[in-house]
Amino acid sequence: MSLMQEFTKGIIKENPLFRLVLGTCPALAVTTSVENGLGMGAAFTGVLLASNIAISLMRSIIPASVRIPAYVVIIASFVTMTDQLMHAFTPSLYKALGIFIPLIVVNCIILGRAEAFASRNSVLPSIMDALGMGLGFTIALGLVSAFREVLGAGSFLGIQILPESIPAILMILPPGGFITLGCLLALLNKLQKKYAW
Amino acid sequence: MGDIIKLGLFLMMVAAVAGLGVGYVNIKAAPLIEKQILEEKIRSFKEVYPEGDKVENETAKYLTAPDKILKEVNIAYKNGTPAGVLYLAETKGYAGPVTILAGFDQASGKITAVKVLNQTETPGLGAKAKDPAFQNRYKGKDSAVALEVSKTPPTKENQIQAITASTITSKAVTKGVNAAREHFVATFGATKQVKTGTVQ
Repeated sequence: MSLMQEFTKGIIKENPLFRLVLGTCPALAVTTSVENGLGMGAAFTGVLLASNIAISLMRSIIPASVRIPAYVVIIASFVTMTDQLMHAFTPSLYKALGIFIPLIVVNCIILGRAEAFASRNSVLPSIMDALGMGLGFTIALGLVSAFREVLGAGSFLGIQILPESIPAILMILPPGGFITLGCLLALLNKLQKKYAW
Repeated sequence: MGDIIKLGLFLMMVAAVAGLGVGYVNIKAAPLIEKQILEEKIRSFKEVYPEGDKVENETAKYLTAPDKILKEVNIAYKNGTPAGVLYLAETKGYAGPVTILAGFDQASGKITAVKVLNQTETPGLGAKAKDPAFQNRYKGKDSAVALEVSKTPPTKENQIQAITASTITSKAVTKGVNAAREHFVATFGATKQVKTGTVQ
């Protein structure tokens, strides 16, 4: 696979949320507004990029039997750093995402990419993989949150576009997350069958 | 046996390097975070009591016993004399704690402003408590009577219209304001007495 393919596969073909159905917990929890969804995607991409680089660099010295604890320590450190940096530089986003920043630690996409990709490939492909997966996840979160924010709050990126009385509050409550994600998954499955990706 | 020690040492090394990295970021970020929190606080003080030129935290003086709701009592000074009281109060909302800052003017005995500092309420619903549209409903209310939450447009002076579909959040904010209001009347009510002649 070329470097470009390593990058693009995460966007549609192996989109972590829509195709691999990983990381659904943050995807359901933070997608109540587009701003939160994109912010989460950005924070996630940063952590994934750092952890993929570190794990790819260390892949030959990490003993196979303790690789998972080693990955967890590496990922947790990067998450803690991201948490601190976001608190220092983007306080409003930090406030909005709250508990979901530290919870990036248990985002299974990151551990999944470490195990399935970074530990078996050199640094450059790992960087492309992280950027592609990060972008794919961010787009997915953006899409889910766009539907939910428009239908549930009648706004997009905080700007009111529908009259106050129209929105269905259900869409920004937890059930709305499941409904949106389910519909999008079904739609993408249908498209995938039709165009045979 | 040798294997276990080798693996253990390896993990220890990974953890040590990771610890150094986290520590380094913390040293760099901690002062910025502290500054951020302090600036936010000063900004909030200014919003809630714009006329003061100096704010002092006098919690120890006015809150002798730990209070369930009231966390801080700050006095705003104007030209060296106490002019306003700023309360930091925390109540339980729908999804978690709701922290508010409520400002009272000593001369008029009225609420100057209420600001929601921290909340984890549902975005689009309870989270609207941090919008000025809701917070302004408290502005200028008299501190003498308890505030009530109403689901319909208020008909009485002491009623606060709830956020649509977020009565719990609205009540949480109002509970905090009421706790501050009671403390304000009980502690600073004497100053207010001077002006009672003008109150309806």
